[in-house]
Amino acid sequence: MNHAFPYLLLPVFWGARNRARRREKGDLLRGALFGGVAAAVASTLFAVFFWLTWQVLDFEELGEYLIRLGLSWLFLTFLSFVAFSAVVTALSTFFLSEDLRLLLAAPVRDDRFFYSRFVKTVGQSAWMVVVFMLPVLLGIGTARCAPLLYYAAVPLVILPFVLIPVALGSMVTLGLVNTFPARRARDILMLLGLLFGITLVLLLRVLRPERLLSVQSLPDLTAFFRTLQSPVTPLFPSFWAGETLFAALTGGVDWLHLGSLWTTALGLTLLARIAFQRFFFTGWSKAQEARKARFTQLNWLEALVGLLPVRGPARSLLIKDIKVFLRDTTQWSQLLLLLALGAVYVYNFRVLDLERIPYMSRVVKNAYAFVNLAMASFVLSSVAVRFVFPAVSAEGAAFWLVRTAPVSMKAFLWSKFWTGLVPTLVLAEALTIVSNEFLGTDPFLKVMSAAAIFCMTFALVGLAAGMGARYPRFKAENVTQVAGSYGGVAYMILAVLFIVVEIALLAWPSSVFLWSLYTQSPIPTARAALMGVSFGLALALSIVTFLAPMRRGVTELEALEG
Amino acid sequence: MIKVDNVVKRYGSFTAVDGVSLDVAPGEIHGFLGPNGAGKTTTIRMIAGLLKPSSGAITINGHDLKSEPEAAKASLGFIPDRPFVYEKLTAGEFLRFHAGLFGMGGNGTQERVQELLELFELTRWETELIEAFSHGMKQRLVMCAAFLHRPRAVLVDEPMVGLDPRGAKLIKDVFRRMSDKGVAILMSTHTLEVAQEMCDSISIILGGKIIARGTVPELQQLAGSQDDALTGVFLRLTGGSALQEIDEAI
Repeated sequence: MNHAFPYLLLPVFWGARNRARRREKGDLLRGALFGGVAAAVASTLFAVFFWLTWQVLDFEELGEYLIRLGLSWLFLTFLSFVAFSAVVTALSTFFLSEDLRLLLAAPVRDDRFFYSRFVKTVGQSAWMVVVFMLPVLLGIGTARCAPLLYYAAVPLVILPFVLIPVALGSMVTLGLVNTFPARRARDILMLLGLLFGITLVLLLRVLRPERLLSVQSLPDLTAFFRTLQSPVTPLFPSFWAGETLFAALTGGVDWLHLGSLWTTALGLTLLARIAFQRFFFTGWSKAQEARKARFTQLNWLEALVGLLPVRGPARSLLIKDIKVFLRDTTQWSQLLLLLALGAVYVYNFRVLDLERIPYMSRVVKNAYAFVNLAMASFVLSSVAVRFVFPAVSAEGAAFWLVRTAPVSMKAFLWSKFWTGLVPTLVLAEALTIVSNEFLGTDPFLKVMSAAAIFCMTFALVGLAAGMGARYPRFKAENVTQVAGSYGGVAYMILAVLFIVVEIALLAWPSSVFLWSLYTQSPIPTARAALMGVSFGLALALSIVTFLAPMRRGVTELEALEG
Repeated sequence: MIKVDNVVKRYGSFTAVDGVSLDVAPGEIHGFLGPNGAGKTTTIRMIAGLLKPSSGAITINGHDLKSEPEAAKASLGFIPDRPFVYEKLTAGEFLRFHAGLFGMGGNGTQERVQELLELFELTRWETELIEAFSHGMKQRLVMCAAFLHRPRAVLVDEPMVGLDPRGAKLIKDVFRRMSDKGVAILMSTHTLEVAQEMCDSISIILGGKIIARGTVPELQQLAGSQDDALTGVFLRLTGGSALQEIDEAI
């Protein structure tokens, strides 16, 4: 074959073109929804970084120093994201993609094969980071009234900056696949990714950036900056990128760092090409071998489920769902992230120092109880969109088994609901009760919050299970794709709306009641009746949000064709 | 028994299945043949309860699929053309899950699972994850599941795809034994030799309509073919002159 390597990328472009041409029902709405969310995120990033830059520039030299440090930190964060994303993407583009057999059976020269796959890896692993980075850099440039040179430098810096981690990441993948079977390598990568995410979240939290806002901690500032400065080393490409852009921001050209970026990027790409020419085929052959999988038999599970009051098909579905979940690394490992987020959540309330404002502490604490309720519900909806919403879609191509079995779709969906409800209810109650305990809220609010989160869990899990049945994605490659689909986004929007209305309906009567306790004044009958109505409406809203989507989900599953 | 009465399936203005009627008596193996896109799989999927007919009725062992879907499905075993199953379960777990779906209680289930695994030569794979299975092994596992609940009617879509000669012979023997025991089997296939060898009667579908029905000699007579093999009869009835053009092109 004599065509240059971009020829091998034509199917990607043609596929995208054909998808764009053949619009399906709901595409416009989905596009508007995702476009709207993306535009909102980009505008927010632009506004935040514009404001931040504008603020720090008030501090003369310290301002410039902070921008310079900030740029390095920004690139360092993105560097780690792109590097990790590249390792995962390269595994799919170089070793697991379905079109690889076709390409490798064709007379394609190995360097052309490498470059086409490498470009695909760069695109897939870096596009999101670039999309996030652009509004940030634009915000900084606009606030600093940067010269045109800065905007010209942005693409010249970003391109080599993403090539470096992708080349390194691809080589790491090559090494991993040559050491482990591809499927196991994917599991290892998933775990590493999660540990990376968890460490990042915990590190950022333990740094306690809120100390910056506290006047008492001013003497600690130098120590804080020392901590900030520590990972910014001149040996990292993130430092070169930051320096080059900072120079452009102030109207100069930093040839040394720009040169370092480009030579390293091209050198590493060449090195990756040589490594792939030398080791790719061995790794690819290994990836084809079906090794005997190691897994846990989980025999105790059937005995354990036998103790629960679940019988018939629901019992079989429950055992199947738990086993599939626990044996799929991409699924159970998310629990680790969840635990870390839960720990950070509770930690936030532990370090919240409300006693600094003693005369207000009781009011603030009680107000925080509602913030806590809202936050816990939000965590709950995030958990539901990730674990409950994809429950129907997770049946995947094997769903024919359930559909041809003598099991009604009602029984099937309710089984999914209960499987999702029990763990989420435990989590939600634990978060609410523990954090309210740390806050030291009024006993009435403790009881009210626990009761409210109980009802809200039913509603949010019912909404997730029902909407998951209404918008299933049986062909999705993994559950993350299902959660990020149109139905998943629509669920999150509805869940947030529900939480806002529910909190409003609960907050007003609760605050009136607490105020009457505080002032020891009786509540007029008319107002008490209105408070009852408000509580009643909150309960009714939960019941409707729980039952209506479940009913609709059953109807949609029954009408499913194919 | 399986009874399909004047079933129609429309997708917008396109009619995929146009008034198909079939009758498979207990103990009968009925072949369902047709070229690609003729409406075979659509019909099979409607009988399995995966697609809703636009009109017409389907009855499985006396249970109307529309009004008593669970009773109808409980007495039917379905073997699809592509054996998609839960990859993270072991063969034994998958069969026990299937037994649970079909309301089989704990008593005797494990013995039945063992019996079928042995019959389909999968016993030593009982505790292995399905993701490590070959296509043929998955196909045999799905067949185990289809026979697990002792259905009185079996629906098979392309049973021989992906099976080695030994596997194919095994399946043929099992189907024969099932039909001897009075199970009605409706089998869609492209392997005409299999249909000729195994089926008591055959229906040929083309353009969504049944164009011929009968035993192999009856079809030969209908097609006016002297050819002993069913292939010639099939091509004559479905218009297979394109073969010669393919031969010339190659």
